[in-house]
Amino acid sequence: MNKLILILAVFGTIITAEAQKTISGRVLEKDTNTPLIGVSVLVKGTKKGTTTDFDGNYSLANIGDNDILEFSYIGYSTKEIAVTNQTTINVYMDINAEQIDEVVVTALNIQRDKESLGYSISQVSSEEVNVARENNIVNSLSGKVSGLQITQSNTGVDGSSRVLLRGITTINGNNRPLVVVDGIPISNSSGGASGSGGIDRGDALSDINPDDVESISVLKGAGAAAAYGSLGMNGVILVTTKSGIKKDGVGISFNSSFSFIDIALTPDLQNEYGAGAFGDFAPINANGRPVLDYPFSWSWGPKMEGQTYTNWLGRQDTYSPNPIKDPYQEFYQTGFALSNTLAFEGAGDKGSFRLAITDEDGQGIVSNNTLSKQTFNLRGSTKLTDGFSVDGKMTYITSKIKNRPQLAEGSGNTSLQLSLMPRDIRLDDVRNNTVNANGEEIKWNLDNTFNNPYWALENAGNVDKKDHFQGFISANWDIDNKFNITAKSSIDYIISDFTSYGATGAQAIENGLGSYRHDDNKSSIWNSDILGTYSTSISDFNIGLSLGANYRNEYSSDKNIWGNDAKVPNFYRIDNYKNSFSSENITKKAIYSYYALGQFSYKGYLYFDATVRNDNSSALPQANNSYWYHSENMSLLFTKLLGINSSILSTGKLRGSFAKVGNDTNPYRTQAVYNIDQTVTLPYTVASISGSLPSFDLRPETSESWEIGADLGFLKNRITLDFTYYRTNTTDQIMAVPISGTTAYSSKVINAGEIENKGIEAQLNLIPFDSENFSWDLGFNFTKGNSKVITLNEGLESISLGSLWTASVEARPGQEFGTIYGNDFLRDNFGRKIIGDDGLAKRGDRIALGNINPDWYGGFTSKIRFKNFTLSSLISAQVGGEYYSYGRGYRLFFGTDARSLVGRESGIIEEGINEHTGFVNDSPTSAMLKQFTDIFSNEIATDLILDATNVKLREVALTFDLPRKMLKNTFIQSAALSAVGRNLLFLYNAAGDIDPEATYSSGPTSTAFEHSSLPSTRSYGMNLKINF
Amino acid sequence: MQTICNTIRTKIVVAVGIGMLFLSCEGHLEDLYDNPNAVTNIDDSALFTKAVRSLFQGTADNGSSHFAGMHAHYYVAGSTWRAPDQYGDGHDQDYNSILNDGYSGSIRHIEEVLELTSTSSTPNNVRNALAHIIAVLGYAKVTDAFGDVPYTEGGKGKSQDILLPKYDTQESIYKDMIIRLTNSIAILKTADPAMAYPNSDPIYNNDLGKWVRFANSVRLRLAMRLRYADNDLSQSTVAQCLSDPLMESPEHDAFMIETEGTGNAWYTRRTGFPSIKMSTFLIDQLQSTNDPRLSVFVSQDANGEYSGIVNGLTDQAFGNSNFANLSDMGLALSSPESKLYVMTAAETWLLRAEAALAYDNDPAQANILYRKGIEISLKQWEVDDTEIIGFMASPTATLSGVNDEEQIGIQMWLALTPNYFEGWSHIRRTGYPVIPLRTSENLSAGATNGIMPSRFNYSSFELGSNSSNVQEAISRQGANKIDTPVWWDKN
Repeated sequence: MNKLILILAVFGTIITAEAQKTISGRVLEKDTNTPLIGVSVLVKGTKKGTTTDFDGNYSLANIGDNDILEFSYIGYSTKEIAVTNQTTINVYMDINAEQIDEVVVTALNIQRDKESLGYSISQVSSEEVNVARENNIVNSLSGKVSGLQITQSNTGVDGSSRVLLRGITTINGNNRPLVVVDGIPISNSSGGASGSGGIDRGDALSDINPDDVESISVLKGAGAAAAYGSLGMNGVILVTTKSGIKKDGVGISFNSSFSFIDIALTPDLQNEYGAGAFGDFAPINANGRPVLDYPFSWSWGPKMEGQTYTNWLGRQDTYSPNPIKDPYQEFYQTGFALSNTLAFEGAGDKGSFRLAITDEDGQGIVSNNTLSKQTFNLRGSTKLTDGFSVDGKMTYITSKIKNRPQLAEGSGNTSLQLSLMPRDIRLDDVRNNTVNANGEEIKWNLDNTFNNPYWALENAGNVDKKDHFQGFISANWDIDNKFNITAKSSIDYIISDFTSYGATGAQAIENGLGSYRHDDNKSSIWNSDILGTYSTSISDFNIGLSLGANYRNEYSSDKNIWGNDAKVPNFYRIDNYKNSFSSENITKKAIYSYYALGQFSYKGYLYFDATVRNDNSSALPQANNSYWYHSENMSLLFTKLLGINSSILSTGKLRGSFAKVGNDTNPYRTQAVYNIDQTVTLPYTVASISGSLPSFDLRPETSESWEIGADLGFLKNRITLDFTYYRTNTTDQIMAVPISGTTAYSSKVINAGEIENKGIEAQLNLIPFDSENFSWDLGFNFTKGNSKVITLNEGLESISLGSLWTASVEARPGQEFGTIYGNDFLRDNFGRKIIGDDGLAKRGDRIALGNINPDWYGGFTSKIRFKNFTLSSLISAQVGGEYYSYGRGYRLFFGTDARSLVGRESGIIEEGINEHTGFVNDSPTSAMLKQFTDIFSNEIATDLILDATNVKLREVALTFDLPRKMLKNTFIQSAALSAVGRNLLFLYNAAGDIDPEATYSSGPTSTAFEHSSLPSTRSYGMNLKINF
Repeated sequence: MQTICNTIRTKIVVAVGIGMLFLSCEGHLEDLYDNPNAVTNIDDSALFTKAVRSLFQGTADNGSSHFAGMHAHYYVAGSTWRAPDQYGDGHDQDYNSILNDGYSGSIRHIEEVLELTSTSSTPNNVRNALAHIIAVLGYAKVTDAFGDVPYTEGGKGKSQDILLPKYDTQESIYKDMIIRLTNSIAILKTADPAMAYPNSDPIYNNDLGKWVRFANSVRLRLAMRLRYADNDLSQSTVAQCLSDPLMESPEHDAFMIETEGTGNAWYTRRTGFPSIKMSTFLIDQLQSTNDPRLSVFVSQDANGEYSGIVNGLTDQAFGNSNFANLSDMGLALSSPESKLYVMTAAETWLLRAEAALAYDNDPAQANILYRKGIEISLKQWEVDDTEIIGFMASPTATLSGVNDEEQIGIQMWLALTPNYFEGWSHIRRTGYPVIPLRTSENLSAGATNGIMPSRFNYSSFELGSNSSNVQEAISRQGANKIDTPVWWDKN
């Protein structure tokens, strides 16, 4: 244990030999001679001590020659110096890089030595999230931490991300890890649209400003998280933000990032056949325009060979391939993201403070999709007396996102429209013909699930404003050196204001009547904790005992108004709508808890932690609202125990953890109620009953998990390997089970079912080179996990976790969680397709066609430093896993997909056997009929299940640290300039032209479906950091 | 020593603090238990109005507007909405929503009313009797749509916690529905209106006399539906119906006007997308007989003519049909304030005409009733008196004695407008009007060899969530296909 390695050094010369004297001196960082503030200086074996001031100076009176001074500071090797006859002791402390890695922030923000932990924890430093900056900080963690799976939705600026830590444990829960910022558990719900459309309003994680982050700890598994109660059931991501530290110079730092965002991947479209059906042009309507209904508005017309024809506007035109092959490149633009942070910080012996202001602006690839966000962050702490200190933080984030893009089947999904637009249509014509003389939208298709994309850009939009406050006040009282009390109260408070509108004149929007919506939401999470800790040591034992209580209160209030049928066009206030509606909804929930923590260690090589906790939740029936759980963690440093100190095996640790965690549910699921209907039709009171049946005897659900692992260090820790096996069984799951509609209800809340989630994680770090001018760090992480449905409710064969068109992702007993079901082709016993006399395949059974879970996933990081240059890169990989692409299905039967060229002229002979003769099918069918029949009429999903395997160059950053010599005579203390790129390219993508991460929502099973997503983007730009 | 005392003292403070926290928290949790967004008690009248309203809204629901109206050849919808008109069966999600809609609207709420009016502290047999009538209408629709459905155990997810309801045979359902109506009629004939729903009856404003006529007419409809499946029961029930008052004039009609949002659902169907165009089959019938209801049921196209769309066209033929410019639904049916009907006097007269022919073998009486049915239907649609007189004088308005059953069947099909779901059931039972077999190359034969579908399929969700019960029904009733006839469908 490096922390305990004592390096003794004697400085200065013997002057006198007085009995009691005053010692003073200065503590500086070795090599740089930077003064260190707040270094603890203690007379060993006593309580006597002090800390260094702003300039690193200290002074201690009444010191004897035989005393030993102990200098300790996090991130540096502790030094002990015998006083002997010195009066001035200057100390140069060594940065202990290995030690920095080893001190980790754990539950309840307790800093612990990593060696003492019985569970797996990964820590990510600030540079890893604020150089190649992402709007949503969790995206920066993708590929960096084993067990952590991040999927960044393709939903415009400020979209939400799917976050899973060690996979899925509950059927109905959101399965997202708890995110705690400086001890404030923040709201963390997923976002996104549904298959039928909508927008993604983002998640609260995007409000964590990367520039304010000091470090991120990922606490995996329930064992790490029992201290947070049921909220921590899926693990915890602990974000610690910067608190003021003493810096060189005036303590001002500036961080600026600018990046471009452009299109990285679009579907392959054909450019040979235009509008029409069965190889012919569409018939011409009485109004002179072609029939714009299906199938004539598809791209199954004649080959485009320069013929004269009547185009979609009813004008004579030349029928020829599009000169610009990719409509996405033409429609979308290069977006940008700009952020500037200015921070002021300082610290003294009485306290510290940091004030930071961040301004972020951005524009997506959809031209009207913009982001503007400002973050004000104030953090300060002060010591009121030697034993009593207070710490506080206030963060205010205000953001405005305009025109979050419509997704999936939404009529305003520009990608859907562009991908299906007949290939002969020129985008210029679409842009220049959006509205006719009557104010009605002009489209190339009558279908009201489509808008003219340019019409949508101008006439349908939304504004999403959010004011977000986070803050805490905490007090810490060291009653004596053994007993300590901390109390903390924190709040996470969000006010959001969302308006959306659609102009009149579009069939897709209330049949041309126009619409308006305004939602107001307030939500708060208020957490208060009190924790008393007693620590002592008895011979070789170190013991820490804590008792704590927590009160958590969640509140949310929604007010919505909406209307249709505008009186005056292009005016968006509720008064302007002939039909208007409103609703309000309030939810409240409280949990109070008591917990006890115990930490025991023996001789620095055996550690044992235990937690007991009792939660009481208002969301459960009163008879069952109290539940207990516990966790036990053990860590054994066997190299230390056995005295192994070889240069081959440098450190070795075995760890194990067990936890039982209870969980409650959403409020109001245990009471039967009647809703009062808002209606103008009847002059009577009308009440209705919700389709979800309550349960009057709901019990808490229970999750039992254990993990074992080892941390090994070889060759003086130049090679480190962490390895963990985990298993979690969640039983008595609280879920709204879908029930037969013939009960007159759609679901019932019950306790049922069991999910088993297990896997292995490994992390390997190598330092092949490490010298003053050149170093190379390599990291590999690997995760293989699997969630299996052991049982569901008796008699229940399946729970649908989501569906798109006719594919669904389901939980079925005995199967992996997240199996994708859909219609297969009709097949004989040998798996051959059975083909009709018309040459078309037939619909067979609904079967399992794939699974959302990867076989394994991981990341590879490399950091090469040469003198002042650092090149870091990250490659992430997912192997296995499937998804259903309805976007591709649409493009295939609309005939725009490049794959739809197959058999256009010759027809397609399906592989299979004739249903009557049993001989190999030899009757051809037209490509159009095949695609339309298979995908649309027969709803066969088989060919639309794609392999999600991919390898992505996720991040590259080249940083140049300006040499100190260059800055010597300036007021700049340090500066670094980086060129960064994110999501640059696929090194391998099994699906070819679709991004497997291009989901339209971020729930646990969102990766099952892709539907005409916005093009995937990559970003590249510069980052500048300057310290004054 | 001092330290220890300090520590103990502090521990006591903490313990007392935590103890106080505990007490205050316990009370706080209780306060938060109740859902602030809804009520736990309500007068059953609020649920009764909900159930009644759902029943009327259901006459334009997915099963009616997207399927039955096209199966019964009243109209054709454009674009992808047209698929059911091609007799296909790839509509699993629709089948599921039709089954769910059938139970979640009127049945869910009327089952609660039945529960509250029979078992609560204040039982009320009058309200209970009214609720049974609504319940029968709700269940009749789902069994007519699917065949065997959960009935004795259906709709009881809340009242009896039955999550896997058994399927009942259509035969047993029909028999029980007739008994329920008979009981309700008996109670309502002598009931005190004050005990009913004085301020929350959207159909008859608490006129129990009209309720008796309504219930009895519904009973007559059910009885006639058994004509070919259980002739004896049909005949005896009809006799019973004739001994009680029936609907006789439009003032007895069961209708409602929906004004929420854009009002009548058919208004949205006419003006929105995919639009609906009236069928050639309907227009030919009305035009060839100079039926004054032509201008009621069908709008003129832009050229001032009545132009219909042929049902069942293939995609290619449909593309050449000039669909967008054909005749819309008539404004009387599809304006925001148009009425939605569940049962009418016109239908009742025509049921009586058929009964007179079938059970009394009395063509003269049948003719009188038949003419009454036509006249009342014309009156229902506010046709001019002179036009009524003219049409009543035409040969169409008199039974010829040659094809009386067909004449009655066709008039019934017209009179049921816009209750298109009942129109489809009527054709399935009687075979009239004759829907031609689709043999032409221009027409899709679909999954039924060109024959009008007989039912909806049980959805894959239902097959998964109530597996053994629905499988039992399939083994009893026949393959889960759209051309498997339901029990009462013998033609």
